[in-house]
Amino acid sequence: MIYLDHAAATPVSAKALKAMEPYFATEFFNPSAAYLPAKKVAADYEAAKDTIAHAVGAKGTDLVITAGATEANNLAFTAVAQHNYGKDEVLYLETEHDSVRAVAQRYGGKAIRVLSSGLINLNDLKTKITDETKLISVSLANNELGTIQPLAEVAAIIKEIKIDRYKRGIKKPLYLHSDASQALNLLDINVARLGVDMLTISSAKIYGPKGIGALYVSHGVKLSPLTLGGGQEKGLRSGTENVPGVIGFATAAKEAKEHLNGNRKKYKDLKRILLSGLQGYELINKKHTLDNFIVLCYNGVDAERLIYLLEDREIYVATGAACAASKGQKSHVLTAIGLNNSQIAGSLRLTLGETNTAEQIHEAARIINETVAAERKRING
Amino acid sequence: MAKTVFVGMSGGVDSSVSALLLKEQGYKVVGIYMKNWSKDLPGMKCPWAEDLADAKRVAVKLGIDFEVFDFEKAYREKVVEYMLAEFKKGNTPNPDVMCNQEIKFKLFYEEAMKRGADFIATGHYARVETSSEVPLLMRAIDENKDQTYFLYRISDEALTHTLFPIGEMTKPEVKKLAAENGLHNAYKKESMGVCFVGEVGMKDFLKEYIDIEPGEIREIESEKVLGYHEGAVFYTIGQRHGLYLNGVAGEVNDGLPYYVVKKDIENNVVYVSKNLNDEHIWTDILELKDVILRMSPAVTSEGAFARLRHRAPLIPVRIILREDGTAALKFENKIKRPASGQSAVIYGGEICLGGGIIV
Repeated sequence: MIYLDHAAATPVSAKALKAMEPYFATEFFNPSAAYLPAKKVAADYEAAKDTIAHAVGAKGTDLVITAGATEANNLAFTAVAQHNYGKDEVLYLETEHDSVRAVAQRYGGKAIRVLSSGLINLNDLKTKITDETKLISVSLANNELGTIQPLAEVAAIIKEIKIDRYKRGIKKPLYLHSDASQALNLLDINVARLGVDMLTISSAKIYGPKGIGALYVSHGVKLSPLTLGGGQEKGLRSGTENVPGVIGFATAAKEAKEHLNGNRKKYKDLKRILLSGLQGYELINKKHTLDNFIVLCYNGVDAERLIYLLEDREIYVATGAACAASKGQKSHVLTAIGLNNSQIAGSLRLTLGETNTAEQIHEAARIINETVAAERKRING
Repeated sequence: MAKTVFVGMSGGVDSSVSALLLKEQGYKVVGIYMKNWSKDLPGMKCPWAEDLADAKRVAVKLGIDFEVFDFEKAYREKVVEYMLAEFKKGNTPNPDVMCNQEIKFKLFYEEAMKRGADFIATGHYARVETSSEVPLLMRAIDENKDQTYFLYRISDEALTHTLFPIGEMTKPEVKKLAAENGLHNAYKKESMGVCFVGEVGMKDFLKEYIDIEPGEIREIESEKVLGYHEGAVFYTIGQRHGLYLNGVAGEVNDGLPYYVVKKDIENNVVYVSKNLNDEHIWTDILELKDVILRMSPAVTSEGAFARLRHRAPLIPVRIILREDGTAALKFENKIKRPASGQSAVIYGGEICLGGGIIV
């Protein structure tokens, strides 16, 4: 098997799996229980949260643990008064993942345009911010193209606007939220340096278990709970803590930091091998992209057919985001950067990861070339 | 030059093998997934995306072109709206029959022809014979799977241009052929599209579109109120489940079940009886409307037979045709009366002669 879809899912690392194991059946106690063994579990949980938070330059107490990135993105939008829409305005980048887009649209959010490079159109951002804007959501790295957004520049614009608002006596807060779920193991992330008020991170994309994520929330941001109950996670996310999940997430986050530089170099090398080995493609994500993201277009070919043909050779690749592709929808991301229908249909997303070796990539390039050639031959009859 | 066939591919094994056979027979084959429905229903995740992927995966494996025809709006208008309107009148329509008449053998047929097809094909268990003046719809070789009950209303024109590649095969043969050819869906569970919601699921389906309106359940003999229901339109004659009778579903005291024997839609009253011989349940004559007769029953020597449900036995019948286009079916012995709105399909030997909607 040659797995080239690490943006969709990653295998749980051996270390993370091992670290989680005791917390299922031995250290199973409810962290809220009164006796000492339970308090030990509570302490381990808090320590794990610290580890996760350190990976983005924050403290454990700044995190709200959620059941994945989608929930964290949903939670971030509760910063907007729910019974007050029309007054609190929200903005989101048009290429955001559906877990931001769908929520933003519920709050009547306006989309900020991207340039053909996939980067945020900062002028469009400036013209769309009004005195009513309360939340702006811009991902750190896009999930279909890997495009890395200049978040610090966005934060700087927001800071200027805040100063102007305060001068004019306008008290409405203005928050910057960023979905960084694709980037935690590929970029050196620091919430202070990025200037974000909220940041979504995910375990499933960094070789940790699925169903666990977190929202970093800076002091002063007021959120409302999505689930009510026993008051866990500072009352913002009630429900007995997913202790094994957090332990696994923490282990994976620590490894991500340790492997960051080595992996980035490895992916740059593998990408070079792949791009020089492949033939007859157009590279879609040329610049400002995560090191492991390669989006190719085979004009005139239906990339979905390539997925099924490559699947027979045990090579696993993707078109667009898995969730959009499975619904047969045209990728809103590829549409936003100005690709035409034929280019969108011919686009393949390959995302490298820790499972890949140079040998695999040589092999993948050879088989993809063969497959595309055979498919082109079939089309031309 | 090879003739072109557009084959409807649902992602199931029957239509997949149909495409396979057509390709082997030398046709230029184009696989089409008809997107008719995509909404999830109570207790049922609509499998359309998985079905589409399965269909496309097979098309890719066979090396044939593949496209999606989006009939969702038409299906909603022609099949679902019709179905809801009929239910509101107190009838129990058959969405499958309607889907074949309006979508698969009309819109799909027309679009395929427009796009240069010589034939359409589907994975139905049925046969077609086009050597005579009128095309003949014939029962499948696999009597257990025969689907002509759902096909009797399709037009002669469409039938003339239709191929049923698996009509000569049995289901086990189809599965075996799929497996031998490495089709991944050889043993996939039978498709569960909205056409196959089934009787239990149908009530939940209807509740998505028709508001609950509580009404009385009365015993037909005594007129006594035995309990309450959620709307007469949700019930079918002969039904014994889902009745709220004095707190005991379907049973009272002596343990014998009550059956729905009559519905008064206007007053929203459902009548039930324990008497299995109630006159409302049994009849020896059925009135039909919207009758389609492809050939006169007189052409066959063994006489005519009626089928009152998919896979139900064939019952000898005398057909009384009237000039106004209605008909009556006269049975020798009394039969359990099917719900109004269902189809009665008429056969002469292997040939499906036509049928009508039970009044």
